[in-house]
Amino acid sequence: MLGKGGKRKFDEHEDGLEGKVVSPTDGPSKVSYTLQRQTIFNISLMKLYNHRPLTEPSLQKTVLINNMLRRIQEELKQEGSLRPMFVAASQPADPLSDNFREAQPAFSHLASPPLLPTDFVSTMPLESCLTPASLLEDDTFCTSPAVQHEGPTKPPPPALQPVKDSFSSALDEIEELCPAPTSAEAVAAESAADDSKAQPSESNIHKPEGLPESRTAESKLMDPLPGNFEITASTGFLTDLTLDDILFADIDTSMYDFDPCTSATGAASKMAPVSADELLKTLAPYSSQPVTPNQPFKMDLTELDHIMEVLVGS
Amino acid sequence: FLGAGGGNDIQWCFSQVKGAVDDDVAEADIISTVEFNHSGELLATGDKGGRVVIFQQEQENKTQSHSRGEYNVYSTFQSHEPEFDYLKSLEIEEKINKIRWLPQKNAAQFLLSTNDKTIKLWKISERDKRPEGYNLKEEDGRYRDPTTVTTLRVPVFRPMDLMVEASPRRIFANAHTYHINSISINSDYETYLSADDLRINLWHLEITDRSFNIVDIKPANMEELTEVITAAEFHPNSCSTFVYSSSKGTIRLCDMRASALCDRHSKLFEEPEDPSNRSFFSEIISSISDVKFSHSGRYMMTRDYLSVKIWDLNMENRPVETYQVHEYLRSKLCSLYENDCIFDKFECCWNGSDRQVEFFSLIVMTGSYNNFFRMFDRNTKRDITLEASRENNKPRTVLKPRKVCASGKRKKDEISVDSLDFNKKILHTAWHPKENIIAVATTNNLYIFQDKMN
Repeated sequence: MLGKGGKRKFDEHEDGLEGKVVSPTDGPSKVSYTLQRQTIFNISLMKLYNHRPLTEPSLQKTVLINNMLRRIQEELKQEGSLRPMFVAASQPADPLSDNFREAQPAFSHLASPPLLPTDFVSTMPLESCLTPASLLEDDTFCTSPAVQHEGPTKPPPPALQPVKDSFSSALDEIEELCPAPTSAEAVAAESAADDSKAQPSESNIHKPEGLPESRTAESKLMDPLPGNFEITASTGFLTDLTLDDILFADIDTSMYDFDPCTSATGAASKMAPVSADELLKTLAPYSSQPVTPNQPFKMDLTELDHIMEVLVGS
Repeated sequence: FLGAGGGNDIQWCFSQVKGAVDDDVAEADIISTVEFNHSGELLATGDKGGRVVIFQQEQENKTQSHSRGEYNVYSTFQSHEPEFDYLKSLEIEEKINKIRWLPQKNAAQFLLSTNDKTIKLWKISERDKRPEGYNLKEEDGRYRDPTTVTTLRVPVFRPMDLMVEASPRRIFANAHTYHINSISINSDYETYLSADDLRINLWHLEITDRSFNIVDIKPANMEELTEVITAAEFHPNSCSTFVYSSSKGTIRLCDMRASALCDRHSKLFEEPEDPSNRSFFSEIISSISDVKFSHSGRYMMTRDYLSVKIWDLNMENRPVETYQVHEYLRSKLCSLYENDCIFDKFECCWNGSDRQVEFFSLIVMTGSYNNFFRMFDRNTKRDITLEASRENNKPRTVLKPRKVCASGKRKKDEISVDSLDFNKKILHTAWHPKENIIAVATTNNLYIFQDKMN
């Protein structure tokens, strides 16, 4: 809590970042805008998931924080579709996979059975990395009624495709998986679509005996990824989907739905269908800049780890 | 400059302070609502511990013309108890969210008090006589041996020390799934509304087992929820009209005659966003924390995080006046978001008036941080910042205006933004309905200020 006269720890770098929004298209101030956005995103996540009150949390506060997260997510997705946020070829994939290694056990308590961090033996060809949705869609676990209801614009599952060399086709896939939302409904539908895509892995969590498709898909990330530009681009989004399922599939919806009559299997509330690696994606372009190339990236990885630890440890 | 003297400006002086002196605040003592009754003789506070404390103004001492009567404790009672919702495994807080007085009809006083889930009608009555001389009972209540009764007598009322009793007369429960944020008594004095995050219900004061839902903004799919109701109030004169505000900064005016379910508003008040002030926090700071009609009902006032806005009911597209409460916080919104202060719900109130005429809705009062509170004079466009503090407050000494230095060189007696204590927030203030007496609640103390009479 603030003491009288106490300086806030964010004060120093925030004074330059707060206040008027810097247009994301400005050159040098874009970094500060992105940094600010990421800070706010972190804070919002912590607020939603760190809080274990004895009494019901304020619905107004939850809604406002959720709106904040959705707005940032929408921005990130729009930026992603306009200008791909791919990891530069020189960027080692290891930090990414390291992070995911750590991320998994962090959320293992959400899933039952606990996810095995790195025990996957990947024998599936790399091509299937590009089409996670089809793998997920193949799973025959039934979706909960609420999820089905809320998905009016479910995108069709992309068919298995060979590795694409052209960037534009990778982009097409990305767009197919994550259509740019044009309205609140579209955002909700998109989250619903993510939900429905994620359904099998979500069901995984509820039914331990199911084959963890998502895990196999994700295990590909454990392998050292080639410096291939396009593949890392799409696997980034792939990771987005799979981590999402694991991170948010099991979220207690009681915060949202207070009706005692609502089915207990109601939609796993995808309050923030943006995973931590979205943050990484936003920072990735800047990590290759000559000015402090890896510092911000590493710093944010540490922050990310910290968030994960806090979310688990509390 | 209010308080600077001259003309009709009010000069505020410290009068009283109620509550514990020590800095260590007991959570149950945190004041959560303050409300004068219709005559101003009674002043009620509710706290986080579910208690209601009512203060009564002393009858004016004719020989002491320099001050109005002091407020002393009149009644204290436990209004709400903590409950446990077994279905959700969550506690229901006993904190009193709102108190609203009914106009006095007989010797007793009535008020509505509410926590998150349940509204109660309390009757506060005085007893200053008691019957004495029962035939079958002793004075202490024990029954007499009937064989010792040899004569009959008629019991008589004899004076006793004044006792103030509070008894719950109605309990309006089980009508709200979400947290009640407002109650408002209709001008017909027979019905009232209660509003939670997603719904507004209409009650009859006599009937507790039934309420009518008049507004419902719950979406079919809760994942699509992006907006909640934050406050609601009946129009002071038109018994079919009410307004409710939202977390997106809109106010909707509804007419209950239009349809049973007022989901379609008659008017929608919303100010377009100022693009130069856009930030990540635009939506959050636009969330309205309080809405109050003016005395005549021609205007209404809304409070959002940084400002107070006055709306003309005939103009929906923008407020007629806007007053900045603490604009210097605009550059600190990220910190305030992080420490949750940005979600603080400040209330606002109009000056009192003994006429229900628009001409007299002149001054707006609202709270801020560092135990500061602000007043805006609509006529002169002047404003003042005052502090509720035990230091430097002697009765009948005019309060010294405060100033916050936003940036640059801090002048003497100014306080810099970084020195503000964000734990000391004034969320609740009330203005005596007829006189220039105000009640200002800090975290756990109640301050009473009066204007300097002379």
